[in-house]
Parts: sequence; structure tokens; C-alpha cells
Amino acid sequence: MTNSIDTSIYTAITEAIQDEARRILSERSVIAVVGYTAARRKGSAQPVVITQADDAGKLIFSAACVNNLAVYLTKAKKEIPKGGKIGIVVKGCDLKALVGLLGESQLKREELYLIGVPCAGVLASTAQPARELTGDTIAPKCRECDNHLPQGCDFVPDQRPVTLELAGKYSAEIARLEAMTPAERWAYWKEQFKKCIKCYACRQVCPFCFCEQCLCDRNKPQMVETTPRPAGNTAWHIVRAMHLAGRCAGCAECERVCPMDIPLNLLNRKMAKELKELYDYEAGFEVREKGPLAMYDEKDDQSFIK
Amino acid sequence: MHHTEKHNFEPKIIAFVCTWCTYAGADLAGTSRMQYPANVRVLKFPCTGRIDPVFILKAFQQGADGVLVSGCHPGDCHYIAGNFHARRRFAAFRKLLEFVGVDLGRLQFSWVSAAEGGKWVEMVTDLTERVRGMGPMQEFRELALEEQWSGAIDTPELREAYNSI
Repeated sequence: MTNSIDTSIYTAITEAIQDEARRILSERSVIAVVGYTAARRKGSAQPVVITQADDAGKLIFSAACVNNLAVYLTKAKKEIPKGGKIGIVVKGCDLKALVGLLGESQLKREELYLIGVPCAGVLASTAQPARELTGDTIAPKCRECDNHLPQGCDFVPDQRPVTLELAGKYSAEIARLEAMTPAERWAYWKEQFKKCIKCYACRQVCPFCFCEQCLCDRNKPQMVETTPRPAGNTAWHIVRAMHLAGRCAGCAECERVCPMDIPLNLLNRKMAKELKELYDYEAGFEVREKGPLAMYDEKDDQSFIK
Repeated sequence: MHHTEKHNFEPKIIAFVCTWCTYAGADLAGTSRMQYPANVRVLKFPCTGRIDPVFILKAFQQGADGVLVSGCHPGDCHYIAGNFHARRRFAAFRKLLEFVGVDLGRLQFSWVSAAEGGKWVEMVTDLTERVRGMGPMQEFRELALEEQWSGAIDTPELREAYNSI
């Protein structure tokens, strides 16, 4: 196939990340670095937290480094040592999530040391980790990526990614669904939500699902049925999409971790599209205190209100 | 005497209203002895800003055929800006519901002030008649009856037992 994507820069990026992590850890300017390390399965990668400069050699970057590490910095995760500056390896999409968390006062910029990764794309969840990165094995979110080179980081390796022009899958799928009748769309989503087993992996992996008590776990009153039945599943996915509207910048981790392959990011992208059309707001590009649903304009459209 | 027509289907309409404007407007309609369909069940909230989209979802899941959300006109909010925030939230929520496949004809938003008893009557009547024309909200009802894994187990004995309930 000719649509393979050049990932040769990832070797040099790995070295640059290791050197930088070694430097900041030995200078004690950070107390820990959150990054990726090789996992046991050939070619695969997993998140790692290193606190010693000697461990910097463990860090890698490859097309299998799919995780959004921003999730480890939220209140919901307690793995990260407290009481100092944290270094974190971020791809462009992960940075967007971090920017959102900064805006929501979950993190302070001065407590972070951002190691940006010039990223040509990562593998889809369906591809084996050792596979070559091509137009077929690339993650759907990377096809529509507009942030290959993270902006505003403390350190970015010099390498520049070479990217392919790929047709967007989400935009095409949204257009396909929008062209359907409500009944057809209902049938489509019913089939999708039916598959849900309520494992809540989408919630656990989402950087924005940091509420200490989720509305969907409350039972007095119970707003969303917790059993994995179609009714409760539908409610969960609607509530999830609504709570992420205007916040989600599309790291697509929810979709990646979904064991039932529900197209979760499709709902998120649809909401992002609508909020851009309605309020000209795009999440993840600048640190803003308030999202589109936390502010208002007196001249907002109200054509739908009688 | 007021003339009441017999219908085959009486829709259940849930109205989420704010206490300061629409509730007072509905009260005015009542004290002025205006007639409007008894299909509407009014739920009073401090402000439209308190009406979480999940309430609308819950109403549909619990068997509502139509939902009306009504509050103060923009600029009249007792809490200054509650209705402005609500306006954005509902604009987004109806787009989401539409994308999931809910017919937006069943969901009506309106501004009804404390002086607009007539407008309240009009809103309730319009929505009731529209939803009556659309028939019962089957989608969520069917969903509530569906099972997931156990749905695959479909033996004649089970079916008979189920039907006899």
C-alpha cells in the first residue's frame, strides 16, 4: 500500500523525550514525568509515571502511544505524586484536553511541564500495536487532526511530522446520520446503545469526567438507570454527550476504550459541530474560564422558543 | 358548559415551568377561568436555569408523550440570567435529541410571563393537539420494555409466562 505514514521521526522523538525527562528530573524541576513506556506485548505501549532520572530511558513514543495521559492529572486519578511540578508527554489531542482542564481550574499551568510530541498519528484501537501506521490502521481521530504540532508547550522535539491528507470519517458519518429521518436515526442509535454493558470505561478514561460523584451513580433521586438495559444505556449516553458538550475536544479515548465499539466520539463531534455553529466556540485551543454552556449572550438564537 | 370532545388518545404532557413567570401565568389562566387541556402536568421549578436536560429525558422515559419547558422572557429572569443559560443549554440539548432520533415536535420551549395566561393556554393547547396527532411516544416506552442479554433467551415457555403477566 502506498498510504503508509512516515513514523521514522518517532525514534528521534523518543530520544528527545528521554533526554528532556532526564534533564528535568535530575534538576528536580519536576517531581514526576507522566509518559509512555513499552508494554509487554510486542510493539505496544502503556502509560508510566517516572520519578527518577535514571528511569528516563524507559520512556518511548511510537504509533502505539494512544492514551491521553491528561486523565492522570485529574482529580479522579490519584496515581500522581502531589506537591510539585509534573512533567507530562502530550500529543496535540491530549493537549486540547489539558487546555480544557486548565480552563476549568482543574490544573494550574505553572504546576505543569509540558513535553509536546510532534505527532503524525497513532494506531486505531482495532489495529495490532506492532502494525505499521497507514491510512487504514490510523485512528479515526488522527484523520481529522488539526493539531499535529502541539502549541504552547515547554519543550517540543525539533522533528516535524509528515502527514497524509485523509478523508474525515466522523464528518462523513455525521452527515450520513443527519440525512436520515428521526426514526432511522433512532433505530441506528438504539442498535448502538443496546450493545453497551455499562462498564463505564468511557467515563473512567475521559479527562473531563472528573466529578467525584457522577450524576449517573446517584440513586436519590436516580436520574439515569444504572442497569445495562437499553433504556438506561440510552439515557447514559445522552447524558454523557450533554455533559461533554462544549468541553470535549476529541481525544476519542472513550471510543478507543469502548469494548463494545459504540461510536461515542460521533456524539461528541456532533455536539462540537453544533456548538461551533451556534456559538462559534471550539474547545481546546485556548484556556478559557467558561465554556459555551456556562456563558450566554443576550442575542443568542431563540428561534426554537415560542 | 364547556364542550369536551372525546378522543382515542390523551397524551401526557409534562410542563417544566419556572415559578416566577410561567407558573404565575398558568395560575392567571386558572383564576381567569380559561379552558385548556387537562393533559398537562405542571412541575414547578425555581427557574428555567434549574431545569436540567436530564429531567426532560427522564420525563420521556417515564411515559411523557410531550414536554413543555417554559419560563420568563429574556431579561425578566428573577435570578438575572437563569433563562439565558437555560436557552443555550436547551439549544444544545435539542440538537442532541434530534441527532439521537427524537422527533422534536414533542418538545416545546416557550417564554410565558406572569401576565400571559392566554399564551399559556395557547402553548398547552398547541402542544397537546400536536402530540395527539403524532400519537403516543413509542420510542422510549419500547426501550424501557426491552431487555439486553436476556432478550436473546426467547423460548415459547418464557414467552407464555411473560404474556400471562
